[in-house]
Amino acid sequence: MTMHCTMDDLVAVHDGEGSVWARRHVEECGECRGELDALYQRVAQLKALPALRPPRDRWPMVRDVITAERAHRRRRWTRAGLVLAAAFAGLMVLLPLMHGRAYADELAQAKQQSAQLEGTLQDYDPEGRVMSGREADLTARLEDQIAALDGQLAQLGDRAQQEAQLVDLWRQRVDLMQQLVQVRVTRANYVGL
Amino acid sequence: MTLSLTVPDILVARAKAGDLEALEGLFRAFETPVYNLARRICRAPEDAEDVVQETFLEVVKSIRDYRGEGHLWGWIRQIAASKALMRLRREKLRATDELIDETAGSPPASIGARIDLERAFAQLTETSRAVVWLHDVEGFTHEEIAEQMGRTVSFSKSQLARAHARLRRLLVAEPEVP
Repeated sequence: MTMHCTMDDLVAVHDGEGSVWARRHVEECGECRGELDALYQRVAQLKALPALRPPRDRWPMVRDVITAERAHRRRRWTRAGLVLAAAFAGLMVLLPLMHGRAYADELAQAKQQSAQLEGTLQDYDPEGRVMSGREADLTARLEDQIAALDGQLAQLGDRAQQEAQLVDLWRQRVDLMQQLVQVRVTRANYVGL
Repeated sequence: MTLSLTVPDILVARAKAGDLEALEGLFRAFETPVYNLARRICRAPEDAEDVVQETFLEVVKSIRDYRGEGHLWGWIRQIAASKALMRLRREKLRATDELIDETAGSPPASIGARIDLERAFAQLTETSRAVVWLHDVEGFTHEEIAEQMGRTVSFSKSQLARAHARLRRLLVAEPEVP
């Protein structure tokens, strides 16, 4: 019994993937060669079928969807923009407040330190104690600087917009007071006066 | 099916920029081949129209990703085939496919010897039609078809062979063996 190509064999040969046996058989067998030719014809006829055209114009629907999606996207971006703007505005309001709070804390701390140092100085009754010439000179210069600072502080008052400057001056005052205490009190302790 | 599927590069560039007129230009250039492909795969004309719409919405969404490598029609064709096959899957026509495959053993008497290729093709199952059309007409490889259908390469090959065997029988009006 002669074995012929199956449709799987013929389709594979048509695709250039047929087995050696199938390719050789198609060359030798008229019946299978006829089937292969018919397959080629069918494929060619399928390719030549007239194009089926859409019965209705779908572009208006496609365009409407595109337009709607674009509008939706724009709205989403606008909303996102508004949220961002609101967040930015909030930040602009909060940041100075947060900074102001930080300045106020630092200012209070510096004032407190200054007052403590003043108290320390008073406790040692500096006016009633003997100083060397060098100490007296140093003390006088420190007290002059403190007086000058106090003058600036009095001019600034407690205006909020100058908080940074106030804090800086008060820090300078604390520093000078510490030096003054060190000169008068520490030195007095050192010499046993 | 002879259609000019070449569009000017400037049209593609404008479409990429979102120009609505250019997008309509692309739609006009490719609506018929997309519909034709979809109609050969889907049984109902309305389904094919929906595939046209879905395909072009996808084209609009993804046109920026098209880098101009290969023919634009090749890229759109991939989308169209994917949408058409997705529609087949979505509507669970595979179950019906099997039924049609089994019950369509004998063609109506009126078809007889006068049956032409178009009518024979229409008698194939959706899956068989899809494989035949994508492979023989649109030039998809079995690998591409398998990927699009979520099946194996051998499935695509066997579907093609079965479909041609059936077409052959229908065209020569042979009584089919159930």
